[in-house]
Amino acid sequence: MAMSSKQIVELNVNGIPHQLLVEPRKTLADVLRDDLGLTGTKLGCEHGVCGACTVLVDGRAIRACLMFAVQAQGPEITTVEGLASDGELDHIQKAFAENHGLQCGYCTPGMLMTAHAFLAENPEPTREQICEGMNGNLCRCTGYQNIIKSTAAAAKAAK
Amino acid sequence: MSETLDLREQAIRKWGSDNRAIRKGKWIGKPARRLEDPRYLTGAARYVADLELPRMLHAVYVRSPHPHARIVSIDKSVLPGLGKTVFAFTGEDLRDVPPLIDHVALDNLLRTPQPVIAIGKVRFVGDAVAIVLAADRYAAEDAAELLSSVVEYEELPPVPNVAASGASDAALLFEELGTNEIYREAITHGEVDEAFAKADRVFSTPFEHNRYMAAPMETRGVLADYDRADQQLTVWSSTQMPHFLRSVIAGQLGLPENKVRVIAPEVGGGFGMKMCTVPEEIAIPFIATQLGRPVKWIEDRHEHLIAATHSKQQSINLEVAVTNDGKILGVRGEFVGDGGGYSFNTESALIEPALAAKALPGPYRIENYREEVGAFLTNKSPVAAYRGVGWTAANTARELLFDEAARGLGIDPAEFRRRNMLRSDELPYLSCTGQVYDSGSYLESLDKALEAVDYQAFRQRQEELRQQGRYIGLGISSYVEQTAWGSESSAQAGTPLPSHDNATVTVDPSGKVTVAVSVSSHGQGHETSLAQIAADGLGVDIKDVVLLHGDTSNTPYGLGTYASRSAVIGGATVARAAADVREQILQVAGKMLEASPEDLVIEDGKVSVAGTPSRFKTLADVAYAAHWDSEVRNSEPLLSATRFYDPPANYANGCVVALCEVDADTGVVTLDRIVAVEDCGMVINPMIVEAQVHGAIVQGLGGAMLEHLIYSDEGQPLTTTYMDYLVPTFSDVPPIEVISIETPSPFTVGGIKGMGEGGQIAAPAALANAVADALAPFGARIEKLPITPDYVLRLMGKIG
Repeated sequence: MAMSSKQIVELNVNGIPHQLLVEPRKTLADVLRDDLGLTGTKLGCEHGVCGACTVLVDGRAIRACLMFAVQAQGPEITTVEGLASDGELDHIQKAFAENHGLQCGYCTPGMLMTAHAFLAENPEPTREQICEGMNGNLCRCTGYQNIIKSTAAAAKAAK
Repeated sequence: MSETLDLREQAIRKWGSDNRAIRKGKWIGKPARRLEDPRYLTGAARYVADLELPRMLHAVYVRSPHPHARIVSIDKSVLPGLGKTVFAFTGEDLRDVPPLIDHVALDNLLRTPQPVIAIGKVRFVGDAVAIVLAADRYAAEDAAELLSSVVEYEELPPVPNVAASGASDAALLFEELGTNEIYREAITHGEVDEAFAKADRVFSTPFEHNRYMAAPMETRGVLADYDRADQQLTVWSSTQMPHFLRSVIAGQLGLPENKVRVIAPEVGGGFGMKMCTVPEEIAIPFIATQLGRPVKWIEDRHEHLIAATHSKQQSINLEVAVTNDGKILGVRGEFVGDGGGYSFNTESALIEPALAAKALPGPYRIENYREEVGAFLTNKSPVAAYRGVGWTAANTARELLFDEAARGLGIDPAEFRRRNMLRSDELPYLSCTGQVYDSGSYLESLDKALEAVDYQAFRQRQEELRQQGRYIGLGISSYVEQTAWGSESSAQAGTPLPSHDNATVTVDPSGKVTVAVSVSSHGQGHETSLAQIAADGLGVDIKDVVLLHGDTSNTPYGLGTYASRSAVIGGATVARAAADVREQILQVAGKMLEASPEDLVIEDGKVSVAGTPSRFKTLADVAYAAHWDSEVRNSEPLLSATRFYDPPANYANGCVVALCEVDADTGVVTLDRIVAVEDCGMVINPMIVEAQVHGAIVQGLGGAMLEHLIYSDEGQPLTTTYMDYLVPTFSDVPPIEVISIETPSPFTVGGIKGMGEGGQIAAPAALANAVADALAPFGARIEKLPITPDYVLRLMGKIG
């Protein structure tokens, strides 16, 4: 089958360059998870609605289930594994821990990545702006209340 | 009054007046940050889909595109590489695996055995037809698509709903039963006909509760590995009940139970959906044993929406007989479940209607009540548990009807409730359906919620705005939530099941604590809340406690987590085991400090003589000596205890009030504010309790306003992606305020009551009543959910 002919893909993930042999039809999310073992990026719907697979591509929040790995060559890709440094949580991760912004944890990586991109553009958001900016990420446990609180706290901490 | 006293005495006799104490120190009641969070925040947490084993095969299902059909043929030979690189299994290949059958102990319930892959006939779109396997998920998907295209079916007339199911000429899902109606039973409590004959007024409402589902962020998933050397089967599953699943797998596959290990790794939300044993949890392990290779199946979202269990759907016809001054004399209710293609193995198709019927009285004094329960099969995905099983529908129908009655009588809806609600001093109270409400704050919760929203001021503002053509509304929903699911709770709920749970607390030679529990966490934060109980029991910091759960090989047997049972049962088993280990520690420390054990205290990891803190040994020193020093160690030196608990039933309670505005032009409902009063007895961690209320309320909001699993009249599911099946997003959710009342249970260890479902039970009625209140000038009556804009316009008479 033509679909299965593999090709070389070069990805730059969390500051590390990788050269991989993958099928052109393979999504960025599947390559991150299966080929690079970065399973922090979650799959919640695989049709671009739930946001669990959100990663940063040159700082922009992108759904890794809607992008092919072959399209992601060149830019800097950041996954949830790239947030903490030297075992120290970053200010958004800390805000989620301090404000009980997660329960089962499945949506959390996507929430953190979206919060990064959102707060970079809106450093002092209102509640309404947080709801609008994070609206593309679904959570089934928290009712969003503490994610809103965590995101607001992260904005404050960054100041 | 004498009956109240009798109930208390009976309960105390049965459950013991002692042995209910819990040691409270620095941790219980504190909003301790969660110990489990760092691994989730860094992406290190591993769910089933994240696990990989050498030589692992990926399984993909071929599922029926027809609601009702005979399988004529499945030609596996079309698959290139069959038996070498690609493998396929059909129902015929799994004929030796017994079908799944519900285990409800009712003689007049008809049974619908479900093969783990369909044999001969499919009964809903999504029913399993075959499983295809390959070393790569993409290759397995290709093969499944190919096989799917060659399955031959003979279509049968679809049975898309209860009306069609009960028609005299309906096609039968199980021909051998001769009917699609698998249960019908009526029970009368008290003098119902007399009550209705005496009534000044009778109000009634038909209510269609919508079909929606838990849809956790992590779908279902199973990984199975059969080790031929040890003849050991290991199954990783996204389950809420690992030990119970082990028992079922061993039984279904004919394996000795000590050769089966089930692990629930990280579980990305369950909400009751992941408590039942699903056919995939039997089929995948079976195939792993046949092929001698690890097999992983990860459900995709489309598959989840059509083939994972659905929930909540039932029709309720409710009538209430009242006096002119608003006293309830009696209630009649008919509850009919739409069970889907199989009466599912958890609690059968009765899971919704039977639980709804028993819970209908809620926090009210209802002495005369007739409940009639029916259940039908239809060609839809089977109905099973989802947070607030049955109780959501019962609460919604009842609270809607009570508002209707209050409006009809010209009595304020809060006042109507007050006149019929049980007072705290009437508890314990035996409800007419046999539920023993242990304690609570029914009226206090209502009053507190109304006070928080400044009820009188709202009514005034509502009147003013109506003059301007703006429609705001306030909805009240009071509830009791049955919790602590053990043998007694399940019996009081109407579906008796035996219960069994344990915890083991161990202090190792270094003085660190390991707690192994039979309850299983999937987001509830047990690693923190149960550590708080162990920490207070042993006088240590929660950071020195490691909690093990979810793995049958290192935790004691028990039923896992569902039905708001884990705080009560997990909490009590840990508290009791910790108390025993504390005694063991004090015995050893007494010898080391030359003091009587009764005179010792443990605090901050030090054992000291009470009143003389300078005379102490660290817990580490004591634990070391307890293991290695033959002079002081106990005759059974291990610092370890395992304790059991099967709790008495108990009931949390609360009240949810919602405020909304309806746009009269578009029918769009804007939710302004939700206030929830929650009383779950003694609180272990208020931060976790508050967040459980948030989550449950928003799931209820989803069911009331957005979520609806729609089938066409031909039985085709129409909501098969997250673009059609709408779960609440950030901007759908108003601010939610949670107010806590603590009325400890007089029956349970520590006075703990369960919680977690109240929000989902109560929120839909609060929202629906708010909309009905806003639309009162139009004479609107809500008879179904969800409340979509077009339904609102219909209620206002703006569209036909």
